[in-house]
Amino acid sequence: MFEFANPAVFLTWLVFLPAVVALVIAFLPLRGETIKWISLATTVVVFLMSLSMIFGWGSVKFQTGEEFAGMQNLFAIDWIPSFGIQYLMATDGISFPLIVLTAFLCVLAMGASWPIKKHEKAYCVLYLLLETGMLGVFCALDFFLFYVFWEVMLLPMYFLIGIWGGPRKEYAAIKFFLYTLFGSVLMLIAILMLYFNSDLRQLPADQLVATGVVSPHLEESVRQERVQNILNSDAPQHTFNILAMQYMGQHTDLFTTPNWLGQSLQWWAFVLLGIGFIIKVPSVPIHTWLPDAHVEAPTPISMILAGILLKMGGYGIIRICYPICPQAGFDLAYVVCAVGVVSMVYGAFAAMAQTDFKRLVAYSSVSHMGYVVLGLGVWSAVAGNDFNPEYWEMGMNGAMFQMIAHGISSAGMFFIVGVVYDRVHHRNLNEFGGLFAKMPVYSGLAVGIFFAALGLPGLCGFIGEVLVVLSVWNFSVALAVISAAVVILTAGYILWAVQRVYLGPEYKGPHGEALTPITFREFSIAAPLLAFAIYFGVNPQALLNYMTPSVNKTVVELTEWAKDNPSVTQSQQPATVATPIRPQIES
Amino acid sequence: MMPLFANILTEPVGVAHYLVVGAVLFVCGALCMATKRNAIGVLLGIELVLNGANLNFIAFGSRYLRDSQGTIGLDGQLMSLFVIVLAAAEAAVALAIALNFYNSFSSIDVDQADQLQG
Amino acid sequence: MDNLPTLLMIAWLLPLASFAVICIGYSVPQLLGLRVRYSTQKIASYIAVGAIVFGFLISAYCLFGIWLPEHPLAASSHHGEEQPDELAGQASPFRPTAFAEEHSEEGHKHATNGPPLYQAGDWYTLARFGSLKLTIGYYIDTLTIAMFCMVTLIASCIHIYAVGYMHDELHDVTDHEVTLSNGEHLHRRGRFQRFFQYFSLFSFSMLGICISGNLAMTFVFWELVGICSYFLIGFYIERHSASTAANKAFIVNRVGDFGMIIGLMALWSTLGTFSFGDVDKADGTKERGMFSMLHEQSNGYELAPTQRMIDFDASRQSEGSEPTNGQWLLFVAGVGIFCGCMGKSAQFPLHTWLPDAMEGPTPVSALVHSATMVAAGVFLVGRVYPIFTPEALLVIAVIGCITLFLAATIAITAVDIKRVLAYSTVSQLGFMMLALGLGGWVAGLFHLITHAFFKSLLFLCSGSVIHAVHSNDMRQMGGLRHKMPITAYTMLIGCLAIAGIGIPFVLGFSGFHSKDVIVEQAIHFGQTNGGYSWLFVVVPLAGALMTSFYMFRLWYMTFAGKPRDHHRYNHAHESPWVMAGPLVLLAVFAIGVGWTLPMQMPGVLSRLGVENLLDTARPVGQLGNKHGVLLPNLVIPDEHASHVAAVKIPAGWSAILVAVAGIAGATVVYLWEVISAASLRRYLNLLYHATWNKWWFDELYDFVFVRPTLAISRFIAFALDRGLIDSILHSFAWIYRGLAAVVAIVGDRWLIDNSVDTVAEKTWDLGLTLRSVQTGQLRQYVMFIVVCTIALFIVATLWWRFAVAG
Repeated sequence: MFEFANPAVFLTWLVFLPAVVALVIAFLPLRGETIKWISLATTVVVFLMSLSMIFGWGSVKFQTGEEFAGMQNLFAIDWIPSFGIQYLMATDGISFPLIVLTAFLCVLAMGASWPIKKHEKAYCVLYLLLETGMLGVFCALDFFLFYVFWEVMLLPMYFLIGIWGGPRKEYAAIKFFLYTLFGSVLMLIAILMLYFNSDLRQLPADQLVATGVVSPHLEESVRQERVQNILNSDAPQHTFNILAMQYMGQHTDLFTTPNWLGQSLQWWAFVLLGIGFIIKVPSVPIHTWLPDAHVEAPTPISMILAGILLKMGGYGIIRICYPICPQAGFDLAYVVCAVGVVSMVYGAFAAMAQTDFKRLVAYSSVSHMGYVVLGLGVWSAVAGNDFNPEYWEMGMNGAMFQMIAHGISSAGMFFIVGVVYDRVHHRNLNEFGGLFAKMPVYSGLAVGIFFAALGLPGLCGFIGEVLVVLSVWNFSVALAVISAAVVILTAGYILWAVQRVYLGPEYKGPHGEALTPITFREFSIAAPLLAFAIYFGVNPQALLNYMTPSVNKTVVELTEWAKDNPSVTQSQQPATVATPIRPQIES
Repeated sequence: MMPLFANILTEPVGVAHYLVVGAVLFVCGALCMATKRNAIGVLLGIELVLNGANLNFIAFGSRYLRDSQGTIGLDGQLMSLFVIVLAAAEAAVALAIALNFYNSFSSIDVDQADQLQG
Repeated sequence: MDNLPTLLMIAWLLPLASFAVICIGYSVPQLLGLRVRYSTQKIASYIAVGAIVFGFLISAYCLFGIWLPEHPLAASSHHGEEQPDELAGQASPFRPTAFAEEHSEEGHKHATNGPPLYQAGDWYTLARFGSLKLTIGYYIDTLTIAMFCMVTLIASCIHIYAVGYMHDELHDVTDHEVTLSNGEHLHRRGRFQRFFQYFSLFSFSMLGICISGNLAMTFVFWELVGICSYFLIGFYIERHSASTAANKAFIVNRVGDFGMIIGLMALWSTLGTFSFGDVDKADGTKERGMFSMLHEQSNGYELAPTQRMIDFDASRQSEGSEPTNGQWLLFVAGVGIFCGCMGKSAQFPLHTWLPDAMEGPTPVSALVHSATMVAAGVFLVGRVYPIFTPEALLVIAVIGCITLFLAATIAITAVDIKRVLAYSTVSQLGFMMLALGLGGWVAGLFHLITHAFFKSLLFLCSGSVIHAVHSNDMRQMGGLRHKMPITAYTMLIGCLAIAGIGIPFVLGFSGFHSKDVIVEQAIHFGQTNGGYSWLFVVVPLAGALMTSFYMFRLWYMTFAGKPRDHHRYNHAHESPWVMAGPLVLLAVFAIGVGWTLPMQMPGVLSRLGVENLLDTARPVGQLGNKHGVLLPNLVIPDEHASHVAAVKIPAGWSAILVAVAGIAGATVVYLWEVISAASLRRYLNLLYHATWNKWWFDELYDFVFVRPTLAISRFIAFALDRGLIDSILHSFAWIYRGLAAVVAIVGDRWLIDNSVDTVAEKTWDLGLTLRSVQTGQLRQYVMFIVVCTIALFIVATLWWRFAVAG
């Protein structure tokens, strides 16, 4: 139970520690601050565990480098064998940064939860459950397990918004819940569609082990026997294993059968999964839960919502949609990109018109997450038919980077808004002003974080945006031009907001006397966010080192798929001469 | 097995004759229970019914009256003894009820005891 | 030579260190709730000044101690002859043969220059995907070093000047321009250290642009100077006008950056690199940069799109249209990048932010908004010059031409002393763009450097005046030369320099030399192309005329004549030496920076002059006439050929003539007042109104862009988002709730509940019926038992008989 060198034990503790503590808290007669301290300690421990994977403090280490592009620390335990459901978890460069981000933001958001005085025990229990759900989503590689965690995360969120929220909390909570539930139902349909069409017998023996369908930790003889059992069985062997499904999607015809209305099975699966994930991202036009949920949610929950929950959509697209349904991804690439671009423009415009500070930040999230969708969507590798994956790698890495960057900057922005809201109890942009004079340190941090969102070089937002935007031209010039135009709008709404809130001679709203300089607690939440914003902006390699191998692997696999797929190669124009883009010359 | 309504008067004494006696006793008892308004009378009827049944047991259990040899013939008598013990217990309980009944109603007319009516 | 990048890096990073020290050093006490004492704040200025002065010393050492001894000017200037002759007549394979023939008919020798001497390398990789890299690197050629020297020198002067100018910030300040809601003026703490903090960051960013080895890095620092400019314009954060101007500056710049990103994308997607030059790699090989890709040696260094560009163009070609062989892409890339330059250098139509930017303190205007940052646009055009097709250059020229004229007209009627200078800056930047667009690479950048000196001088002088009289309005000045002689006469030098006064073909103020080469190039362009291209001569000459007119108008209104506002006049005083010293130093440079030292000087000083220096940095493939492909009649003339007598003589005379004419005009109107300005105003009423209102650009943009944007955003946020999408959503919810109500009432209550109720009722009735059986009569019960037993017996028997056995 405590053999932490075993990835199964380690990851299980990482994911379930908050839930265990939540249970303990629930049944102990604790009250007030104590609960918060315990919860904070738990989140810190989880964060340290995730860090220990980076630095290799324990025996479970996350390796970087090209040779570690695949899944690491994979373990598989049969859970419900009759349906092929496994307790399967692993990390790779796509999920690992998100895990660390989750653990990190959970610590900060717990710190931001201190002003919450209502039903503290219930709050902390739900909060910790939420953390388990989020970590589980990023770790799980079994579709069923993934779905379970997905739902586990949903319910605490509903209560956290619905109980501790603002004046319209019930409306917002219901809206959030129904939206997301709608998405997860579509997802469930897609999962079952894929499940009943999957067949493990089509996988080669080594893949069965590599994907964890047969646990690689079993003894050699047992493993061989299980593999042979699967391969020699008469009936189709269905699976929920995401990795196995990825292989099936890319190397077999299992999911390409015509299904309904002339579209293939994977086309429908892609659409259903895509809608499910895009609701979470969220993109226009299925984004309207976000502003309401954010506006009504308490500050720490807004931080979690913007910082982590939105990332699950992007994570799902890159982990599930594209690898499992490459053909559909290729056919619908333009739609996905267009959704991303429309969100970017739409969110930016909508943000500009807001008078509610928090709503403005919420719409800016819509706009910024548009970059993620766009970056994930650019199938530029197939443009010009030269199958050079580098630009697409750049787009996908940019999207992943943007996810982390947005996790930092948007969480920071929501916290920044929360700080003033705690003091003056309103968020009307037109009734602020002059905060620089009253709260200088706070304003400095705030401006830094807002500029990170604005995409200022040297801060994290810039790298993600520039990588995404630069990769788009090869896919579609029109989309590239529109996405480039968003920089103007972004500058517009952020600078305008900064002007209205922080600059100016005096504060115009009520409760001016409450505007005291920030406390140490608040500072120690905002400062790390700004520090990371600067660090990742100056040294993006620190982050890219972790994600690039895995993202590139995904891209290269999809490019290989595209190269072998006649429907892709024929859709392109007659092959032009592929030139090496960077010939080397001798000096 | 003889036919159901064979002439018992022409047959040698067998189980059927005992059964007839038992049946007569039973019917007498049942009639007594149905017609007597006196609780003691009803009790007497019950005793008659029980003894009718006893007679049947003994008849069926008797080794002299049966063809089969697989029994020592005590099972019927055993049941009868049980019934007798039961009847004694029952009589005791019933008399106690009657006594209490009398204490409440100053009568042992069972027709007055219709509190359980629906 | 090898330590050159390191030295320049030190010079570049010093201001960053200064910024970091000031920022952290003064934030920590604030965090602890302490107030920084003013005497402590003063240290910040020493740190910043020290950093930049040291940076200048390093830059100067790099130029005089390393670069010039290695590449003496005498050996490397004025030649394109190194090219082997066989390349001369060779037509580029991507150029229609017709032009090659045309060439030979004209007897043009078609040879162009190779790349200049440079060092390029990468310091730091931001991101890397396969062969694609975004790096922080360096590209050091003569232009880089010249810019380093210019920027650090001017920045040093202005830093020192600012120590005096920003002195007010060392006390508690009462800002008379800000009125609070209670009717009082704003009182606040001084922010001396913050000014120097931003200044240091700005110096760092600006030097970053200069040393940048690739376009991505340029873009990074491009944005950083933008944000520094934002902070500095909005330095008086309490003033609404200042923060609005800061926003405007940043957003208008972003409009330009939008174009720039498009240019970047086009280049990035087709070249796969942003590096300017060939970058040395660790293993001794070179990674090819943009310039060598576009100017292949095998093409004779002619500009030619790469194969990938041609492929890309072909793959995007619509059916039936003429193939452009990547020329369109190159054109788009060039114009895109120029858009960025347009924003930063405040070129028409993005010029409106610069005059507003004068809201910042005057040292900011001098450093950021005249000498360095706004010149970065010109610098970038010069830096990426090899990627511009002739058509793109024409666009640059046209924009520059429009800008210089428009801005000059506005400057004539402006009365705010700093705004006059701001429009003058815009106009001069137009000159530079024009020169670059017409093929005068050296001309444009030469003017950039000379202009930086005299314009920063002018701004500092105006700052000195403002410092003395506490007003920007020239109508409240006059006669100030008696009170502040140093300021007055250094400013006169500046005015003479910008007007371009000198003795033709001999010597003059710096502006004379640089303006001269611009006019030469323009006349050469006119001679080569004929027809409408003469507009490129007429307009700059008119601009030059207006320049000298409005500059002397400014000088006369400020320093000459009688004081108009005695109260202000009496309080005026000469500035302290910490401010006047830089003025004198800059005045010296404003006079002499355009000079070329005589040949006879020994060593590295031989032929030393900015013009010669820049000539050694001429980018690859810029000598010889360049012919348009999309516009076949366009010829961008060879700059070296502009120095022949047939061009030089008319240019020299016309330039000096218009300059003198402008001064004369100003003298007549504003000094002697032979013609009164008021009557002129009346005669040229319409024109006056147009220029007074800055040709209504702000109003136009407000009407065409700002309002529609806000309207769209309101439409999206309220009509679309909450109105449409949420309404649809809510209607779903209502439909669902309606359905639920129907199901609840019809299905649940009526159908299911009713049937269940009925069953219950019947059961109840049955019970009632049966209760009569339960009489409580013991005897009856016995009868029932008996009868039922018998009945059961009979039924069972019959059932046995007929159903089972039968």
